[in-house]
Amino acid sequence: MQLTPLQRVDQSLRRQIPLLFTLSLMLFALTPTHIPGMSHVTPMYALAAIYFWSIYRPDLIGYGTSFTIGLLDDLITGAPLGCTALVLLACQQIVFHQQKFFNAKPFGVFWLAFAVLALGAGVLKWLCVGLFAPGGFTPFTDMFAAVLITAAVYPVIAWVLAHAQIKLMAQP
Amino acid sequence: MRQQTGQISRFGTLKSLLQRFAFLALIGLTFALMLIGKADTVLLERARIAVTDAVTPLLRVMSEPASAIASTISNIRELGAIRTENAALREVNARLMQWQSLAQKLDSENRDLRQQLAVVPEPPSRFVTARVVADTGGAFAQSVIVNAGSGDGVAKGQVVMSGEGLVGRVMQVGVHSARVLLISDINSRLPVLVGESGTRAIMAGDNGARPRLLYLSAKTAVAPGDKVVTSGDADAFPVGLPVGRVARMGEGTVEVEPYMSSDKLQYVRIFDFGLANTVANTTSTLPAAARVSPAVVVPAGAAASAPAATPAAAPPAAATASAKPR
Repeated sequence: MQLTPLQRVDQSLRRQIPLLFTLSLMLFALTPTHIPGMSHVTPMYALAAIYFWSIYRPDLIGYGTSFTIGLLDDLITGAPLGCTALVLLACQQIVFHQQKFFNAKPFGVFWLAFAVLALGAGVLKWLCVGLFAPGGFTPFTDMFAAVLITAAVYPVIAWVLAHAQIKLMAQP
Repeated sequence: MRQQTGQISRFGTLKSLLQRFAFLALIGLTFALMLIGKADTVLLERARIAVTDAVTPLLRVMSEPASAIASTISNIRELGAIRTENAALREVNARLMQWQSLAQKLDSENRDLRQQLAVVPEPPSRFVTARVVADTGGAFAQSVIVNAGSGDGVAKGQVVMSGEGLVGRVMQVGVHSARVLLISDINSRLPVLVGESGTRAIMAGDNGARPRLLYLSAKTAVAPGDKVVTSGDADAFPVGLPVGRVARMGEGTVEVEPYMSSDKLQYVRIFDFGLANTVANTTSTLPAAARVSPAVVVPAGAAASAPAATPAAAPPAAATASAKPR
């Protein structure tokens, strides 16, 4: 069946949804929450989005997306350029290699796997920033708090992204 | 049929190879970027400014809901205590009226003495009020992005204050945005004076809530509760800006509790004190309204986050201000 130009545009816009949601979550993590103690902790919402899409729609989120999102994050936050990109790429590579493991597993397993991945991501970023930033290594506890919050918020992010996938990405 | 299966298999292998190549190439690129970031800081800063400027309008929109919620919660809390606060404010007001008459007397005396001694007056300072649109620090740095840039008269090195006290310095300026390095950042080193004795020290951030005092010239003269103000050394900050109080003294460490709270930052004032360390003094490019407006226009949210009860937090007397209507 031949698609009309409008249908083609519609389809290509739908394919950008993972990128747009990941980008939005990356920016959302930077907005001030005004919650006491939270200014020292920036959750890694973009990592949660990359993890989700890499499992459910690996065809729509390639390494290029992770690299771009990571690079933008570093440019905006002032972190050493390339650190977040490296972390996101490494996590995505792990998820891509474990696609069989994620087959037909209950949500608890996804969540637990994400918590482990987030911890690894946090440690890698902490090491990378510590090595390349002029200030050196920062307190480990803040990074650990960021990992805990990211892991705790994952079900909410997964719920939002799953609904976006059903409502927005389903073919009309 | 077999030929078709073979073609699909070959295509799959090729795709997998390309994917692996892309991954390795991008990993290599990240390391290259890390090295470039170390070597060419000018290019990197330009890229950071361009990207920050581009996303600031988005961040401003995204930060509105959290800001509105924080303001509402603060308003509700204030409503609950409005009667007691009113009574306390009346009392403070009566006391301040006495101080005002004394201050007026001292001011006129001061002016007479300055005239007699032919003291060169300090240049008047100006400030721009801006909104904090992103908290870009977190676990790895302590900085915020504000929605005022070189177009509003902001320049690198200018001093940033909240209603409570010193917040930090402008470290990067775009046309519509600026990045402020907080005093709690691990890279922050601030020359300060501690207590009544004016003991000199350097306040060093560690990304935590309580920066530490280093190189205390006379540690015995410092006690918990002592005020910490800027010393004005190295021309980075003017003398006497309120920074915080000595919170705790441990073995070999003295911790400072800053007056400003990075969690509560909604609006900040960016001062141009005309210091030597301010790069590219853009006072002449200030919009006309900013240059002539003598009124201190502080948005409602800022008023809520700036307790007037902190006497040290008052802006310098000669300051003129502008607030961006956002």
